[in-house]
Amino acid sequence: MSTIVANRLTQRFGTDLALDGVDLALDSGEHLAVLGENGAGKTTLLRILATAARPTSGSLHIFGLDALRERQLIRARIGFVAHAPGLYPALTAAENLEFFCSLQGIDRARVHETLALVGLAEVARRPAGRLSRGEQQRLAIGRAVLHDPRLLVLDEPDASLDSGGADLLAKVMHGRSAVLATHDHALANRLCQRTLVLRDGRSLGAGNRLRVVQ
Amino acid sequence: MTRSIAIALAVARKDLTSEWRTRELVPALGQFVVLALVIANFGFQIDSRNAVTIAPGVLWLALVFAGLVAFGRAFAAEREQASLEAMLLTPASAAAIFAGKALAAALLLIACEAVLLPALALFFGTPLNLALVVAVLVATVGMAALGCLFAAMVARVRAREVLLPLLTLPLWIPFVIVGGQAVQVAMGASGSYNQAVALLIDFDILFVVLTSLAARFVLDD
Repeated sequence: MSTIVANRLTQRFGTDLALDGVDLALDSGEHLAVLGENGAGKTTLLRILATAARPTSGSLHIFGLDALRERQLIRARIGFVAHAPGLYPALTAAENLEFFCSLQGIDRARVHETLALVGLAEVARRPAGRLSRGEQQRLAIGRAVLHDPRLLVLDEPDASLDSGGADLLAKVMHGRSAVLATHDHALANRLCQRTLVLRDGRSLGAGNRLRVVQ
Repeated sequence: MTRSIAIALAVARKDLTSEWRTRELVPALGQFVVLALVIANFGFQIDSRNAVTIAPGVLWLALVFAGLVAFGRAFAAEREQASLEAMLLTPASAAAIFAGKALAAALLLIACEAVLLPALALFFGTPLNLALVVAVLVATVGMAALGCLFAAMVARVRAREVLLPLLTLPLWIPFVIVGGQAVQVAMGASGSYNQAVALLIDFDILFVVLTSLAARFVLDD
């Protein structure tokens, strides 16, 4: 069963065309890398896929549900890592996750498990505002997988991660469908089976990783 | 319903914990209302005859401007931290998230009122009684609902500091008029206190219901 089926996704901001008729399909358990220069439309596409934005036109089905109408149902099954970590600086790492457990309606026991998964168990009681940028990004990734989503949407999650970041991403993406936007072709090649290249909001085509990278 | 209440309480707890640790808002608001009373005290010729007429106006002026700051910060901080989107991308309903934000902002304003009301009694020599406290608290509920809705609406706009008062103040006028009456009666003037408070409760119900319905459209793109 397809996890994502998107047809002719278009996004306009005033007169600017940020995304121009992008088609996309992602099978269950498949990983797709979205590549492109700055301003190519990667973030716009990923925000639409994460249901954080509505496209101007086009259709989007995620897990067979209409993503424009049944957003709440879909959101329970998606984990999204945006550009900014979006954490609460005065709350500790553990409290940040505990708060999202309340919103997700899941057991708080998941918090320690998740902090261990993203390598933050030792700084669990440190305020998020005092974590390094890389640790904050790990915490944001932890928040995205807290509710064990079936689909991960990751917008340049490697931007602030250290050398172990790729391993962490491989770990959290394992067993899930994932869409990963990145500038790092080597990372895309390692983590994803397929690649979609965007330029000026248009798809230059999807392919298997080797063909595109070469 | 129970889940929505749990979410609203979690959101409110999160906001209050953040405020308790950073102490960004309440100390500043407390200082603001005391300064407003000091200025009013110097600006008006207060005596025992006119205190009951002037004090309610000063009280509502201080409360309205303190409320604008408190409710404005409720969503501005979320936007600055880019954390609102993370909240909205959970299955939690926008109305529950909004209710939690409004509850926390209302409690912060109540903390400010805990400074304002005794200070008013001190500077103006007006009575501080349960009726006065009840009137102010009842008005705070509806003001918080409206203030937070508009704060959420303008949070993503650059000129939000200008837009928030422009949108909010006209709709707060009923609270100021009726709340002013209730406070005047509570301070000893003639009139029907019960009628004024009942009207404030009607406003609360109306605006809480309307803002809860509108929250989804305002918060979620």
